[in-house]
Amino acid sequence: MGLRELIKKEFLLFDGAMGTMLQKEGLKAGEIPESYNIFYPEKVYNIHKKYIDAGADIITTNTFGANKIKLKDSSYSPEEIIREGVKIARRAAENKFVALDIGPTGQMMEPMGTLSFDEAYDIFRQQIKAGEDAGADLVLIETISDLYEARAAILAAKENSSLPVFCTMTFGENRRTLTGTDPITMVQVLEGLGIDALGVNCSLGPREVKPIIDNILKYSSVPVILQPNAGLPQMREGRTVYDLTPEEFALEIKSMAKKGVTVFGGCCGTNPEFIRKVRESLEGLKPLRPNYSKITCACSSTRTVIIGEEVKVIGERINPSGKKRLKEALRNHDLDYVISEAIVQKETGSDILDINFGLPEIDEKETMINVIKELQGIVDIPLQIDSTKPEVIEAAVRLYNGKPIINSVNGKTSSMEKIFPIAKKYGACVIGLTLDEEGIPKTAEKRFKIAEKIIDTAKSYGIPEENILIDCLVLTASTEQSAVMETLKAIPLIKNKYNVKTVLGASNVSFGLPNRRLINVTYLAMALAYGLDAPITDSTSEEIMDTIRAFKVLANQDKECKEYINFFGKIENKGKEKDTVSQKDLKDIVLLGMKEEAASMTKDLLKSTDSMEIVDSFLIPALDTVGVKYEKGEIFLPQMLRSAETVKKAFDVIKDHLLKEGKERISKGKIILATVKGDIHDIGKNIVKILLENYGFEVIDLGRDVPVEKIVKTSKEENIKLIGLSALMTTTVDNMKITIDELRKNGISCSVMVGGAVLNKEYAEVIGADFYGKDANEAVSIARRVFQA
Amino acid sequence: MVIKFYINKSEVLRYLKYSGEEVDKITNDLINECIEEIKADKNANFVFNIFDISKSHNKIYVEDSTLIFRGKDIYNHLKSSEKCAIMASTLGSGIDKKIRYYSKVDLTKSIVMDACATVAIESLCDETEKIIKKIAAQEGFNITFRYSPGYGDFSIDIQPEIIKVLNAHRQIGLTVTNNYMLVPRKSVTAVIGFCRNEVSSKSMGCRDCSSYKNCVYVKKGDQCGLKRTN
Repeated sequence: MGLRELIKKEFLLFDGAMGTMLQKEGLKAGEIPESYNIFYPEKVYNIHKKYIDAGADIITTNTFGANKIKLKDSSYSPEEIIREGVKIARRAAENKFVALDIGPTGQMMEPMGTLSFDEAYDIFRQQIKAGEDAGADLVLIETISDLYEARAAILAAKENSSLPVFCTMTFGENRRTLTGTDPITMVQVLEGLGIDALGVNCSLGPREVKPIIDNILKYSSVPVILQPNAGLPQMREGRTVYDLTPEEFALEIKSMAKKGVTVFGGCCGTNPEFIRKVRESLEGLKPLRPNYSKITCACSSTRTVIIGEEVKVIGERINPSGKKRLKEALRNHDLDYVISEAIVQKETGSDILDINFGLPEIDEKETMINVIKELQGIVDIPLQIDSTKPEVIEAAVRLYNGKPIINSVNGKTSSMEKIFPIAKKYGACVIGLTLDEEGIPKTAEKRFKIAEKIIDTAKSYGIPEENILIDCLVLTASTEQSAVMETLKAIPLIKNKYNVKTVLGASNVSFGLPNRRLINVTYLAMALAYGLDAPITDSTSEEIMDTIRAFKVLANQDKECKEYINFFGKIENKGKEKDTVSQKDLKDIVLLGMKEEAASMTKDLLKSTDSMEIVDSFLIPALDTVGVKYEKGEIFLPQMLRSAETVKKAFDVIKDHLLKEGKERISKGKIILATVKGDIHDIGKNIVKILLENYGFEVIDLGRDVPVEKIVKTSKEENIKLIGLSALMTTTVDNMKITIDELRKNGISCSVMVGGAVLNKEYAEVIGADFYGKDANEAVSIARRVFQA
Repeated sequence: MVIKFYINKSEVLRYLKYSGEEVDKITNDLINECIEEIKADKNANFVFNIFDISKSHNKIYVEDSTLIFRGKDIYNHLKSSEKCAIMASTLGSGIDKKIRYYSKVDLTKSIVMDACATVAIESLCDETEKIIKKIAAQEGFNITFRYSPGYGDFSIDIQPEIIKVLNAHRQIGLTVTNNYMLVPRKSVTAVIGFCRNEVSSKSMGCRDCSSYKNCVYVKKGDQCGLKRTN
């Protein structure tokens, strides 16, 4: 019987620790354990053999760290070590199974660290190919803390081998992995990628891991693995020991087998005796497959949002259609604006964010990728990938660290053929629009028919009902009044027959009518009453969110009206706090750093004052005063920054105003800022950026760890006159020099200013910079000189 | 394990380049807020191990491990020690994430948070050191102050080796980039000597450092210990 069938019918028992055993054989701290495959194959063989003799069904190769990063200084390649590792295990296993062991790369992925998703993928691919070639029976990806790394490894395994893939992650006492993933999110994301078994290893002892396992069993449709440590670690005589005996360990395992775990093994501190006792304890037991909850959900790497239990809001604002400011930001590669739109939606109550970059003059795919990379490190709510182009959708869901929703597929065969394979492969949810080759139907029944076709076709691709959301598409009341109710009637028709959920983007209903907001909230309330699960809407609109809050009370979703009372109680209190801002002018507001007041005061001023005059008579003089005070030591860094942020708020209002009026935006010159390759410190760069922007310069912020080529390319494309480079480490200042050299080689003659803790004026000259900016104020005066502004 | 550490506000102010100006209420509240958020995070962790050491040809050999310390300063630091503790402490990646988040919504707060986290990691190291000191005392040793890569001529290119020897990635999630930056960012590794004689556990002054003449921090009237965790 093959492993894939066996795992459904029998308990499977892995081996125990390898590291612990190798230490007994003389492995020194810091030594590469995998080197024993080459130097002491018999020692490794004997360990495997002991586990086989103890009753293990599967032994794990001694290849945990056999990757390019960890073997960097070794004289052996990952392929050589893996080939030998599998060979030894194969010899010991005979007719038992050999699992190719794959541990984490040892580096943190972006944006925490500098390892990219594609680099991680390549590292794992190299290991997996070598393992399959050498004759492994399955791939075991284990001791993973970062869900993103798990995704890279599983995709590498799925795309480069035909072996079964198991994956276990490591959790802490807070029931999350070190990078914050919880058990339900792990289950959703790994299952989506088509994993054959999943679970927990290392982490804690078998007792402490129970609540985590309970949570996994509740949601997992695939067999669950448990390979805990031999209890909790304790220091005895300067050495780490674990507190459970083999008997105690086996007893705990037995209780987990009764709950439904079917694959076992041991991690740190276990030895063949533990495995023998576990084997004995499983005798006479039959594997149990508990029922699991089929839920509709989207996940970021740290949060799962379940749709269908109560109303969830999908934020619609990151979509350029009809939004001048967002269009401008996208054209100018201003990611910070997109991020701020994401944050404001999250803070106002969006549970999921729809992101769409369908703007003809920009590269949609590139923008999508850049935004996802940035956004997923900052905002913890799941994303909904919105595009009409399958290649954009695929690139996005591949890169996204979670379980996204795809927006959308429709009833046209051509659409389903392109979108469903992507949704299936990456385990994404998918929104089905009830339209087909004949357009949007008039009646509820026809919408139901299209939904039925979408659901049935999805199932034929292996997509379960619970991963499907239907959008019944609304028509405009002013032109198709009789069809408006048909949309709503279709909702219960579909939900009564299928375990799918519904979404609706409904603001078109009011198109062409006065007081659109009234129509919109009324229709929203009606749709919710008909069973709509997740409106795609603008959470920054108070009326809309108030309507949803009220609905949740009336529909018995907001238990004991807690959310409602909490929210409206707070607002009433806020009203009482207003102070006497009115006596201050904008300059005072900036000097005092009163960020919240800056926007409203600027709006008021714009009614009577020209925007340039506000900049020249209030903002710049205030900034100059702040700069002088800072230099003199009258205020310190946080105060200076708060003033700078206050000016930025005022500037944002002015920018909006100029756009609305169709006037030229303020630009005293375009400047690139970047923290150089290899460096992820960006505090200094961020301070310089806000000050430069406040003085009217346009900043293209390329971020941290920026490749040299990107700086060169952007300088050329944007015809840049000044570049600011930042580096904090002595090891990365070299990359500053390389960047400058490369710019010069490419014939780019713009000025370069540099800054960072390890630099000084002389050193700046040595590496070929034109200017040394000792602080942010200095950077501003350099920019003023370069642009004579 | 929940580890308690204290975040000293006057240290925070020092990192924020405070030099006696009036601390306004908004800033003061912000610092308090950040201190509370860091305390609430509870992902701080540490790992250490104690090794015998031997010395020859100006090198320190860490027994039963692959570590060899080269350089005059670390040699002097450990010259009268028989053993050493190698330690690593980290606030965890949650704090990095918070700092990054605030850098997008509230730049001032991100900088205050960064300063508070820098103080917090030093304080966590102090707590780790206390535990090590207790163990040393039980064995009849005094301890030296803690010495970190990046001090003097103790090069930071030793970081990957330290991480490996402590198995720090598996134990506390600590990693190092190709440019020897520790990730999570608010992390420190250090070496503490165990010796029989009385030692000053006071930190070495800048003038004792072999990089004193060329040190960029000293030129700015600063010290490197302040910078290395930033």
